[in-house]
Amino acid sequence: MRVIYRLLLLLYPASFRRRFAAELMETYDNDRSLPAYRGAAGFLRLWRYLVTDLLRSSARQRWRALRWRADSRPQLPPQLRRGFMETLVQDVRYAARQFTRRPGFTAVALISLALGIGANSLIFGLLDGFVFNPFPYPQPDRLIAVGGTFPKLSSDTTYVEALSTPEYLDIKQARSFARTCAFDLGNRNLSGGDVPERVFTALVLDDPFPVMGMPPLLGRGFTAEELAPKGPKVAIISHRLWQSRFGGDAQIINRAIRVAGETTTVVGVMPPRLVLIGTDLWLPWGGEAAAMPRTARQFTILARLTPEASLDSANAELATIASQTQAASPELKEYEGWRLIATPWAAALLQDVRPAAFILLAAVGLVLLIACANLANLMLARSTTRHRELAVRLALGAARSRIARQLLTESLLLGLAGATIGLVIARVGLGFASALIPSQFRMLDLQAGVNVRVLVWTSLIAIASGLLVAALPAIQAVRTDPHDSLKSDGRTGSGRAGARIRSTLIVAEIALSVVLLLGAGLLMRSVLNIGNASLGFDPHGVVTMRLTLPQQKYPDGPAITAFFEELVRRVERVPGVTAAAVVSQLPPSGFSSSQLEIEGAPAAGTTLPTANTTIASRGYFQALQIPTVRGRTFTSEDVATGPLRMVVNSVFVSRYLGERDPIGARVRVVGRGGPGPWGEIIGVVADARNNGAGAPVRPEAFIAMEQGRDAWNQLFLVVRGSGDASSLVSPVRSAVASLDAEQPVYLIQTLEEGVALSSFQQRTSALLLGIFASVALVLAAVGIYGVMSYAVSTRTREIGVRMAVGAERIDVLRLVLAQVARLAVFGLLIGVGLVMLVRSLIAGLLYGVEPSDPVTLAAVTLALGAVALLAGWIPAWRASRVNPLQALRYE
Amino acid sequence: MRPQPPEPPRKPLSLPVIHILLALADGALHGYAIKQGVEERTNGTVRLGPGTLYEAVQRLQDDGLIEEATSRASDSANGQQAQRRYYALTPRGWDVLRHELRQLDVILERARANPKLRKGLT
Repeated sequence: MRVIYRLLLLLYPASFRRRFAAELMETYDNDRSLPAYRGAAGFLRLWRYLVTDLLRSSARQRWRALRWRADSRPQLPPQLRRGFMETLVQDVRYAARQFTRRPGFTAVALISLALGIGANSLIFGLLDGFVFNPFPYPQPDRLIAVGGTFPKLSSDTTYVEALSTPEYLDIKQARSFARTCAFDLGNRNLSGGDVPERVFTALVLDDPFPVMGMPPLLGRGFTAEELAPKGPKVAIISHRLWQSRFGGDAQIINRAIRVAGETTTVVGVMPPRLVLIGTDLWLPWGGEAAAMPRTARQFTILARLTPEASLDSANAELATIASQTQAASPELKEYEGWRLIATPWAAALLQDVRPAAFILLAAVGLVLLIACANLANLMLARSTTRHRELAVRLALGAARSRIARQLLTESLLLGLAGATIGLVIARVGLGFASALIPSQFRMLDLQAGVNVRVLVWTSLIAIASGLLVAALPAIQAVRTDPHDSLKSDGRTGSGRAGARIRSTLIVAEIALSVVLLLGAGLLMRSVLNIGNASLGFDPHGVVTMRLTLPQQKYPDGPAITAFFEELVRRVERVPGVTAAAVVSQLPPSGFSSSQLEIEGAPAAGTTLPTANTTIASRGYFQALQIPTVRGRTFTSEDVATGPLRMVVNSVFVSRYLGERDPIGARVRVVGRGGPGPWGEIIGVVADARNNGAGAPVRPEAFIAMEQGRDAWNQLFLVVRGSGDASSLVSPVRSAVASLDAEQPVYLIQTLEEGVALSSFQQRTSALLLGIFASVALVLAAVGIYGVMSYAVSTRTREIGVRMAVGAERIDVLRLVLAQVARLAVFGLLIGVGLVMLVRSLIAGLLYGVEPSDPVTLAAVTLALGAVALLAGWIPAWRASRVNPLQALRYE
Repeated sequence: MRPQPPEPPRKPLSLPVIHILLALADGALHGYAIKQGVEERTNGTVRLGPGTLYEAVQRLQDDGLIEEATSRASDSANGQQAQRRYYALTPRGWDVLRHELRQLDVILERARANPKLRKGLT
């Protein structure tokens, strides 16, 4: 117990302990021996008394010591004391003088900070405009989408075209929602001008404007009467359609336009940037919502939360609604375990992009960290040479806090100057970057620019980097003992502690670079894998475009089929065309799938069978060069009146039919109106990527166009030519016009473009990460070079001695490079460790490569080793050239 | 470097401090003896914890009221006692103690002037 009391004495200030510790211990010993403090009770009494006494008096002593220190500090006479602002101005002026006196240092520091901060602002600006805050709506986080997960069908949660109208009516009951709307996406022909135009259209169930929270620019939203079934034909058009097609005509309201061949009155124009998933035309849906089948899940549902509601309360209500629906419709098996999920609309729409966005943001953050570490190293080296100056100031009575504050002002000034230049870089870069975004994303009419959020973000990171850069030199300066520094030759700061800090910074830089290099390497491997992966079809020389036949002109299946059959015949005769077909969806991204029933398959599985269901004309498999694996594909015998026949892909067979002979197996599609007729499988084709170039192939079932029950009037025309695909566009258009001059074609692109677009995200991420990783590597190299040069210069004497006693140049070279190698190996190990920690974050972006991929690891090790050795070579070589005679004289 | 001794304390001394000075008025004592002396003198009503004691010693020393006396050879029976520091009143300490006691006397005098308090004070 005596030892404990001895330890407790540490609570006292050192001066008090020095004076009284022995006597205090003696008092303790004397008290301990008193009869009053014998036994357990006495023991407790003694300790209670000792501890209260100790705590009280030590607190008083500490306070006294503090007061004494404050009072005894030499005070400037009042006329020389400065206020906060005066000090700040003085510091800023002093810092500016320091910077202009050392233009080289300032330039290097400014450029690295400006690049680091600029890259951060640029990426943040892009992500803010395209991912985090893509919409101009007020309170965008309270505008939510309701999506569904059907575990029986798939593990994905979809928000766009996810639910049916009866489900919408259920969701509408939720009290968390102030307003709701639902819409179906489609395309409508807009005629009555020079050229017929296909317009991406939303068919709405309720007025979307109040949900969006934005009033129309001109006119009004839809009235209840217009939204009711069989209501009057009215339309609202987007701002850009108003500009492009109607020349911004202010008299557009109440004018009649022709939509899908019907006279329709324009009642409103949307404000700029209000586009629902890129739609340009809004029409009332006009059906009986309650009468629609629950399985017709083609509606997107949006809602605005009431001021009282939260996302959580909405989700809780939706969970209740979902379980009620499940109980009410036991015949629909997909309701088993289904969930309704509310998510902010921006997050729902961009859910696939967000992980990549965060990774990019983290990557630029790492680059900035590396730049800061480099700068901190520079500042440290400089503060070593400033050691004497600081020591003199301390000796003359400058407060340590005052000196730290001045160093801080210097780095903050650097940070803010860097941020200003960085913002210019970001501003210019945003202009370029926005232009590089593919039209698929630009369809959303997203905008990126330097806004308040970008400014705030930039200032924050500028201040943070200023603090980071200043921290180490400031701590070192505060620890300076003026006595020691003044006695020495002013180089003491470069002692062991300084060298250790610098080495630590370099190891950190290398580790962060390794993280970036590994990330970039893995993504590049993924992109290569996607490129090399067999697509299952041949996109070369193929051009695709879409046609939608208006209902008035082509009212039923036979009319539609006749049109497309004739179209294919005419296109096939175009010179240079080797094959042509029409199809409802095509690789690399199919979008329409249905639930299926397979005859004889066990009914109780964990998931219900689903497949992409595709309507195709006979020549489709030849046009895309998808090989037949078994049986046959469609022939002219498969006519509308004949028995239903189907072709499926290989994944379909392995997943749903197992070992059974697929030929002759019977399958039926469970459509909107319940199960359709049984169809017989007549052939199996090879798998073609139908779920994006970087994702596993989904099961797919093909139905001949003639037998398509739903009379598909919206099909893609697929044309294969012997030469350049894009040269086919104009003759094919003429062929379409020769058949129906009023029929527009749209979504024209070569299939190679389509394939490239489907891996756009991976390619962009890989490219950007690659750029960041290269920058990081260069920065790390500069850091290694700086630290090694410094280390060599402080060891000149030692090296001279070594050489004087017989060390060869190669030994010196080895000596220095070994140090570099040590730093590099440490950094590499830590970096790899870091990547392993966060591998789950990046795994989702990878294709065909594991986060622990040995090839990438080897490549990164090689690259890093080469760069480290290169950066260390110059100082090492210089060290090996040291003239021993000179070095020994060197002081 | 220790700061210059401040001016004589204007504030009246606290009761434990007066007792410490009174104990030392009987002769130089070492720390624990001060503590014992005070406790005896007050029948244990004033108890000095070790921290409190040496805090007071430090302050009295810094204020120049007491000083370390040359150790008395008579006590040096063993090695431990030889290390003991003895404290004694300085001339200024005597002055301050006298001044303080006079103050107390004045207080007592005034209290006796009050007939309600006179009983039991004589």
